[in-house]
Amino acid sequence: MKISVNTEIALTYLTSRKKQTVVASMGVMFGISMFIFMQSLMKGTNDYFEKMSFTNTPHIRLYSENKVADAHMLTSFLTDNSTKILTNPKQLKQTQGLSNPYGIINQILKNAQVDAVTPQVTANVIYTSGSVQLTGNVAGVNINEEDKMFDVQGNMVKGNLHDLKRVNNSILIGKGLADKLSLHVGDNITVRSGVGSPVVLRVIGIFATTVKQIDETKSYVNIIQAQNLMGKDRSYVTDIKINLKNYNNAPQVARELETISGYKAEDWVQANEQLKAAFKIRAIILNSVIGVLLLVAGFGIYNILNMTIYEKIKEIAILKAQGFSGPAVTSIFLQQAIYIGLMGGLVGIMVGFGITYMVSRIYIGAGTLKYLPMSFYIPHYIEAITFGVLTTIAAGFFPARKASKVDPVNIIRG
Amino acid sequence: MADSALKAINITKFFHDPVDMPVLKNINLDVHKGEFVSIVGKSGCGKSTLLYVLSTMDTDYQGSLEINGVLATGKSLNDLARIRNASIGFVFQFHYLLPDFTCLKNVMIPGLRLGKYSNKEVEARAYEKLKMFGVEDQALKNANKLSGGQQQRVAIARALINDPTIIMGDEPTGNLDSKNTEIVFDLFQKLSKEFGQTIVTVTHDEDFAQRSDRIIEMADGEILMHHHKNK
Ligand SMILES: Nc1ncnc2c1ncn2[C@@H]1O[C@H](COP(=O)(O)OP(=O)(O)O)[C@@H](O)[C@H]1O
Ligand SMILES: [Mg+2]
Repeated sequence: MKISVNTEIALTYLTSRKKQTVVASMGVMFGISMFIFMQSLMKGTNDYFEKMSFTNTPHIRLYSENKVADAHMLTSFLTDNSTKILTNPKQLKQTQGLSNPYGIINQILKNAQVDAVTPQVTANVIYTSGSVQLTGNVAGVNINEEDKMFDVQGNMVKGNLHDLKRVNNSILIGKGLADKLSLHVGDNITVRSGVGSPVVLRVIGIFATTVKQIDETKSYVNIIQAQNLMGKDRSYVTDIKINLKNYNNAPQVARELETISGYKAEDWVQANEQLKAAFKIRAIILNSVIGVLLLVAGFGIYNILNMTIYEKIKEIAILKAQGFSGPAVTSIFLQQAIYIGLMGGLVGIMVGFGITYMVSRIYIGAGTLKYLPMSFYIPHYIEAITFGVLTTIAAGFFPARKASKVDPVNIIRG
Repeated sequence: MADSALKAINITKFFHDPVDMPVLKNINLDVHKGEFVSIVGKSGCGKSTLLYVLSTMDTDYQGSLEINGVLATGKSLNDLARIRNASIGFVFQFHYLLPDFTCLKNVMIPGLRLGKYSNKEVEARAYEKLKMFGVEDQALKNANKLSGGQQQRVAIARALINDPTIIMGDEPTGNLDSKNTEIVFDLFQKLSKEFGQTIVTVTHDEDFAQRSDRIIEMADGEILMHHHKNK
């Protein structure tokens, strides 16, 4: 390959001051590797928390909201504000759940974005074993669908979750609950809802999530069991849980489902507002740190180029006297910046990957989190090198332009 | 009358610092191709300034300048750079070699910039030029490892790499001993006589000047007279 004379000069200048070149590219290397490490850690953590939230929250939950009656339907029907409604501001107890839930489910399934749908009966209950009583909630589910959506199997500590279907009057309880009531698989537990009569259920399995509060209150029963518990018929459903093919579309799909069903559709973003806020804050912190790192690296390059130009001003003048144009001189110095950036960037990518890999192997063993969740995400690496090279070009631009403007006569005259 | 290599018409130049002061006053000059011209005059009379204008490096003047019959005045800096690269070789009083490069590379660089020949050819030509000044054995040394005289000879070789039609020198032999001065003079004469290259040099060397085709005597920013050598 024939390299241009500008490139040759740029490379010679870089190699004749190896130390400064190495220091400048180390600045870039440091910025890039930190960029990759921190991005990997942040994405890994975010993904982890997002995944965790999906182990007990569906992408969308459809339910009937307790509402104080208001006049908004009437007002929109009359298209003016002329008629007032007098209401009792006390909320009525919602006992009827969703009306025509299976019709709604069929409608939901028509939406191409929907991946899985399952109905649920939620009931607040009192658990009794011996003389100990605890309050909690029972989820009446189709355990196969529930498992598909939330990987209940992955949380199983003891027993077989499929027994919930096979064994009559069975229940799957959280580990905290089992401990507090000192229950084991095969033991009996009495469950009473606010309305129906108490029933005795047999513990067929124990699960443990990462959330203590869930483990101490939650249990699963067959949906029919829950309907019995509430003294309701087979069409009684309190929640419809929906997972989408792409959970990022949840807010928009939730709005659509609200309009077609007339019930409240809560997407996971609303349900996990604090999670999203934490993501945002972390992103801001991360971006400021990376910005500062790249700025420092950029100043390093700016500095070394300015120094070079100061030292070599006579040589620049002589190059111009020999017919190097302004753009040629710009190219010589900008190339130096770019090579420093590329060198630092490439090494930075490798170092960044190395650090990320090493940290992902450090055992931390906090709860179910055994290793730090690091993501290995190619776009981070592409972004890193792009940012690195853009920073160096920006840093090299002003010195290079200064060099191109050197007036040979002034310099040679001395 | 032979073709004109360098033509200055009514060139006037001012320095504005500290006060407006004319350094070149109505310079008219016509150098034909293959002519060997020396410019002499007291220090500070404007010789270097004139040379910089003639070399197209200095564009801040009134009047007009033609190089090889083409108007250079008013051309863009990039165009002027191209003209210098292809047609003008400049030798300064101080060598101004690039210290990070070998002598060979120093000579090659303007040739590589021109891009008329392949790298190999440029290298062969550079060796040839170094040989003319007896410094080919220094070719692979870094430029800053040579003696002052050797460096100046390399710098002259560099000015010749693109076979420029015009060679300009600002006291090119100012730092050379009489033996080296003799080599340079003989070579300049050969270039002008045999290869038709035009030579314009500022010199303080009376001998050197006397042996050129024409002596231009300057004083106070003006050309006093032209002494043509009697053939
Ligand atoms: N940048 C400048 N600003 C102002 N005056 C200058 C500048 N450069 C040179 N001069 C003046 O211009 C005159 C001519 O300078 P110069 O061309 O270098 O003379 P020579 O080469 O004949 O010795 C001198 O009087 C010098 O002091
Ligand atoms: Mg001078």
